[in-house]
Amino acid sequence: SCSSWLPQRVPLRGSHWQSSLLELRTSLPVRAQPKKKKKVDVKKEQAQKERMKKKLKKLEKAPPELIPIEDFITPLKYSESNRVRSLPALSPEESEKRILLLKKWCLFKQKQDEAEKKAIKTLVESQQEALKELHLESKELYEAAIRRDEGLFPFERDGPCHSPPLPGYDPPEGKCVDITKVYTQ
Amino acid sequence: DALLGCHRSYRSRPTHGIGKFKYLLPKEGPKKRKEKVQMKEIDAGTEYQYGDVNIQMTSYDLCLVEHFAQYVHRLCNRLSIRVNESYAMPTKTNEVLFMEERGSKMQLDAVLTTHQRVVQIRGLSSTFAPVLLEIIQSSQPEGVHLLMKQHTEADFKSRLKSRPELEELLAEMS
Repeated sequence: SCSSWLPQRVPLRGSHWQSSLLELRTSLPVRAQPKKKKKVDVKKEQAQKERMKKKLKKLEKAPPELIPIEDFITPLKYSESNRVRSLPALSPEESEKRILLLKKWCLFKQKQDEAEKKAIKTLVESQQEALKELHLESKELYEAAIRRDEGLFPFERDGPCHSPPLPGYDPPEGKCVDITKVYTQ
Repeated sequence: DALLGCHRSYRSRPTHGIGKFKYLLPKEGPKKRKEKVQMKEIDAGTEYQYGDVNIQMTSYDLCLVEHFAQYVHRLCNRLSIRVNESYAMPTKTNEVLFMEERGSKMQLDAVLTTHQRVVQIRGLSSTFAPVLLEIIQSSQPEGVHLLMKQHTEADFKSRLKSRPELEELLAEMS
């Protein structure tokens, strides 16, 4: 109805909501929003990747560090205050006794060490003799004996106990919580 | 000006070498560079020899495990077994809680620290290995747990600090 005063032909608009003069779902090729988003996204992604690569390189450059051993770090409370032990003076008899005890201990340790050396020697000697005899017996068995034992490692053993376990002991319920400090680099 | 600018030392003159003093100082040696913590090559050993073997000693008692580690190290030295390294693993701390007899609350019993020392040896011959094991076991003290196993990369990595940032980035990249 509004097109009656126009001299040239103009395509009718279906309704007042249709603002474009072209048909539905067509538009003039304009540098509109959707295309801009794609380009900027690609650039942003590339820039982000570059940043991540640089950060990775920097982190990888730093050499790995060992976890510090708490055993070797003296706590400050033992080095700050003036801790001095006041020991009583030793009597000559006491010091004499101690020196004699020290000598006895030295002798005991020497005997123990010698016994150990002797034990190693006898073990190795008997082993060598056995291997020699085996070699004379059969070469194949000797070769098999010389080879390393794959089942030897891993080898685990608990230390000897002071007393045997108590019979009929009912331990209380409880749990163990690991509170070791976690070090990160 | 000519005298000041001259740097030639006249070897015939008695004043030759006047002003030199560095030869009197003790030699410094090459500059110490911080040793990079890098994993050394793990020896796999041959058919007649074990490669890198870790002797791990664990205990709650620090002095005991320390002394036992020293004893093992000295023993290996005496028996001409090559010791690669002798180090300490990080200390682990545990809180022991127990349930009271009449009650539902957990009570703190003790805080225990577990210490571990490692002596790494190489080139243990297959015939001598049982002898060494026997000797170490016979002198194993009370409360010390002994473990002998072959050294792996995982063992080395367990000594290093964790790097969560690096791992996160690597996960993101892939």
